[in-house]
Amino acid sequence: MTHRIIHSIAVAIDCSPHSKASLEAAAEMAVRLKAELIGIFVEDIDLLHMAGLPFAEEIRLYSATTGKLDTAQLERLLRLQAQQASEMLRLSAESRTLHHTFRVLRGMVPEQLMLAAPEADMLVLGRSGRSPSCRKGLGSTARAALEGTMNVMLMRPGVTAAEGPLLVLCDGSEASKRALRTALEIAGPKSTLNLLVTDPAPDAVERCKEETNSLLNGRAIEVEYYHLPFTEGKQLATFIKMIDSGLLVIGEGMNLPAETLRELIDNIDYPVLMVRGEKL
Amino acid sequence: MPVPAKLLPAQLFNRCDPGEFAFSTTADLDGSTGIAGQERALDAIRLGMGIRRDGFNLFALGPSGTGKETTVLQFLNAIAPKEARPDDWCYVYNFDKPRSPKALRLPPGQACRLSDDMDHLVESLFGVMPAAFSSEEYQSREKEIGEALQEKQSSAIESIEHDAQEHEITLIRTPGGFAFAPIHEGKVIAPDVYMQMKQEERDKIEKETNRLRDSLQSIMAQFPKWQRETADKIKELNREVSAFALKPLMDEIRARYKGIESVLNYFGEVERDMVENFSQFLEKESPDESPFGMMPPPFSPAGRKRSVVRYRVNVMIDNSKLDGAPVILEDKPASLNLVGDIEHAAQMGTLITDFTLIKPGALHRANGGYLILDARRLLLEPFAWEALKKALRTRQIRIESLAQLYSLVSTISLEPEPIPLDVKVVLLGERRLYYLLSSYDPDFNELFKIAADFENDMERNAETHLAYARLVGSIAKRDKLLPFERSAVARIVEHGSRMAGDATRLTTNLQAIRDLAHEAEYHAAQSGRAQVSAADVEAMLEAQRYRASRIQERMRDAMMRGAILIDTSSEQVGQINGLSVYSLGEESFGTPSRITARVRLGKGEVIDIEREVEMGGPIHSKGVMILSGFLGSRYAADEPLSLSATLVFEQSYGGIEGDSASSTELYALLSAISGIPIRQWLAVTGSVNQHGQVQAIGGVNEKIEGFFDLCHERGLDGRHGVLIPASNVRHLMLRKDIVEAVEAGQFSIWPVTHIDEGIEILTGVPAGAMDENGKWPEGTVNAKVFERLKAMAEKQKSFGKKQGDEPEK
Repeated sequence: MTHRIIHSIAVAIDCSPHSKASLEAAAEMAVRLKAELIGIFVEDIDLLHMAGLPFAEEIRLYSATTGKLDTAQLERLLRLQAQQASEMLRLSAESRTLHHTFRVLRGMVPEQLMLAAPEADMLVLGRSGRSPSCRKGLGSTARAALEGTMNVMLMRPGVTAAEGPLLVLCDGSEASKRALRTALEIAGPKSTLNLLVTDPAPDAVERCKEETNSLLNGRAIEVEYYHLPFTEGKQLATFIKMIDSGLLVIGEGMNLPAETLRELIDNIDYPVLMVRGEKL
Repeated sequence: MPVPAKLLPAQLFNRCDPGEFAFSTTADLDGSTGIAGQERALDAIRLGMGIRRDGFNLFALGPSGTGKETTVLQFLNAIAPKEARPDDWCYVYNFDKPRSPKALRLPPGQACRLSDDMDHLVESLFGVMPAAFSSEEYQSREKEIGEALQEKQSSAIESIEHDAQEHEITLIRTPGGFAFAPIHEGKVIAPDVYMQMKQEERDKIEKETNRLRDSLQSIMAQFPKWQRETADKIKELNREVSAFALKPLMDEIRARYKGIESVLNYFGEVERDMVENFSQFLEKESPDESPFGMMPPPFSPAGRKRSVVRYRVNVMIDNSKLDGAPVILEDKPASLNLVGDIEHAAQMGTLITDFTLIKPGALHRANGGYLILDARRLLLEPFAWEALKKALRTRQIRIESLAQLYSLVSTISLEPEPIPLDVKVVLLGERRLYYLLSSYDPDFNELFKIAADFENDMERNAETHLAYARLVGSIAKRDKLLPFERSAVARIVEHGSRMAGDATRLTTNLQAIRDLAHEAEYHAAQSGRAQVSAADVEAMLEAQRYRASRIQERMRDAMMRGAILIDTSSEQVGQINGLSVYSLGEESFGTPSRITARVRLGKGEVIDIEREVEMGGPIHSKGVMILSGFLGSRYAADEPLSLSATLVFEQSYGGIEGDSASSTELYALLSAISGIPIRQWLAVTGSVNQHGQVQAIGGVNEKIEGFFDLCHERGLDGRHGVLIPASNVRHLMLRKDIVEAVEAGQFSIWPVTHIDEGIEILTGVPAGAMDENGKWPEGTVNAKVFERLKAMAEKQKSFGKKQGDEPEK
């Protein structure tokens, strides 16, 4: 490989199950790419503001009872969470002998993350974080990250980004080529590369093969090609689920409609890596 | 009264003629042996074993060595194969009451099969269950149930979230739960901004927040219920999956035990438990998971969870290889060996147990058949007798830990379900034990209603001679001994008579006969002979005698040296040689004792010095008292008996018991009264009654031999001899050397029936018979006794008169 795309990986840690999955994925990825790991914990300013209100009350999760919540108490709890996050990062990184740093920021979570993350080449975060409803869809931070300008990988608990199959959406665009290059960088020797060609052109697969072969440059990676000229996100999600693809790599600015991509990201059960162009 | 004739050599020994045997050596016999001379005992055994009712157990009583065990075993081994083979028994886990393992009854040979089948079932489940639970269908169904809950909770919270958003309020996740806060332009209003708001606005926000909080609280209150419902759904799913995976295996195993209700019920319980606890089959326990990783689980196969031990089957009784009813001989009838035991294993310093550690006892093994126990050993074992009685009384085997029962240990134990008992118990023991138990144990007669009394000896005839021959033949065959010549067998028969102490009977102490046969064969083998001859038997008998003769010889030496005064050559007044028997363990021998009598004027009493110093037993005292009766009635019927006589066993330092010397004492007394000396070269034995009749005594052979040996050592001169009761002649089985001495006229044995015969032989003076006028012939012993007593009476009378004439002071 001539040059590496990803040298450092930022990971948002808030001690939620999603963020734990993110940390594990980021650490695995960092090992593979020999990258630095940057842990970010954001003390939510909304929470602190809420605690400052005179009627602030907390409804406890495991008893459904209420109790007064004051700023000092909340500060203590947040400090405790930050310590836990730092410890999680340390354990994860040290066991893999990774270089790592940890930062605690305060402010609106998406904003702070977007401000801090550009220092890294990739941001890894949970799909829904600590949002109250834990919906299947994306959380506010994840949405903000997707709307940002950097490479973002969205994780969910129960799946890993360990060396396994990868799926790249190919439509012949520059964005999809970027996605393919990034996928080849993070793919391990045993990974299977699934290429899902969405370009309706009959020779689209052939072209994709040529491009891939030239990028592989003799690397022994197993590649599978699928031709699916659909543009609907749900259909794509169903197919991806069928072939058990693993990490989904998407290039921002592909020919596929933005709506389709959003729908796909919302419905997919696998981790998603959104590759941007600016930093490459 | 005429003096009886001396016994002829033929009367001293009842010979067994080898010619009566049809065989040449015991090798010609087939080696089988029958039970001879125990018809009474056999009848009792037959009755006891035949009545299949409670309490008809048997006590075989008799001296040791009489073949009680052999006879009982032989009888039972003959009848047991014709009886039905009893069922198998096993213990299984009780799923309702784990501390009370269940007893399962199965047709013979099925218990081991069940155990194997259950092991196989469990083994199979370790493959089948993980496969069922790792299937894609199960995984997605489980995931779906979990996600349904997630969605239900999410949408409930989402609805609140939307409600809040409509009022510009947001729901925030706090580290410990949820909270509501007012927002402005997507951000929570800072406290200082909030405080600058108008009071009405603040009140409105607070009101809304409170309302939302209450709504969320009521929703969250339902979460535990939803989670419970979800858990139930997952449980139900697990139940369905595990039941489906288990069913074919259970159907297969059920088909094999069709018709055995108890086993099918057990399978039902097993199935329910396996479905409920399916997770135990999902993974093998690795050593790391155990809190005591270094220690292998004690009762489970390597790598298996301990919980599956409860599906094992503890086979207590496997009768698959049994032919008919069992016949069990328990050599160590300890309580644990009888009723079984619950063993414990030490684990990390504590004692633990489970139903697989229940061990069967002899009663389990003999259930449905026969159990033979040695009564003495049984009674010596603590609690064993009570345990046996309890089992027989309640007709069930209840295994109880003795340590638990008596609070010696305090640890978790089991109470296994009792097993119904149907057994015939045969106790073997001495008569004394039987009579003691019968007298002192109220349960005994209820539980052991039949007594098989084994004879000490048996009739001596051609049939029993042959039985002896067969016995010797079977010993030779079984123990691979040299064959016995018929003369050797005949000699053994003769010794059997000697042991019985009766020339017309044979001992039933077959153990002693067996020992003699072994010793004789050893002698023959040492001498390089191919067959055991009569000489070998004789040599061994001689060796036996020699081994046991140390004390006898020491006493004889003392007599030879004059330390013990026994005169065998002169004639003495008031002195006679009596004969006594010493019993030392199993050996006994006879030896002469000097008995002396002295008389003086007195009040008609015969003083037994032995009794005065409490060295004489009651029977001996009785014998001496009879003498007074005899003397008084015979010689002083009309006048007072005015003598005082003392009788003593000279140089006797131990106790004396028995009345076999009473005739001897009477002879000494008559000699002392009459002044006629007694021939010391003769010895006397026999008891006497008040009429002067001489009665039978025991140990006649030993007594004669004891006196003969002394005389022989001093030198036989033809005068030596022994007077024995005529009724003892049938008991004579004397040694060969004595018979030869009698043949040569060197030694004599007189059978005496009355004192008058004996006194004439002993003194050489006729006893004399009373005439019609009540007078005794002049010069006879009786006349001299009469005269002396009369003179003493007169002297007493005159002495009394003289005393009466004296003036009172």
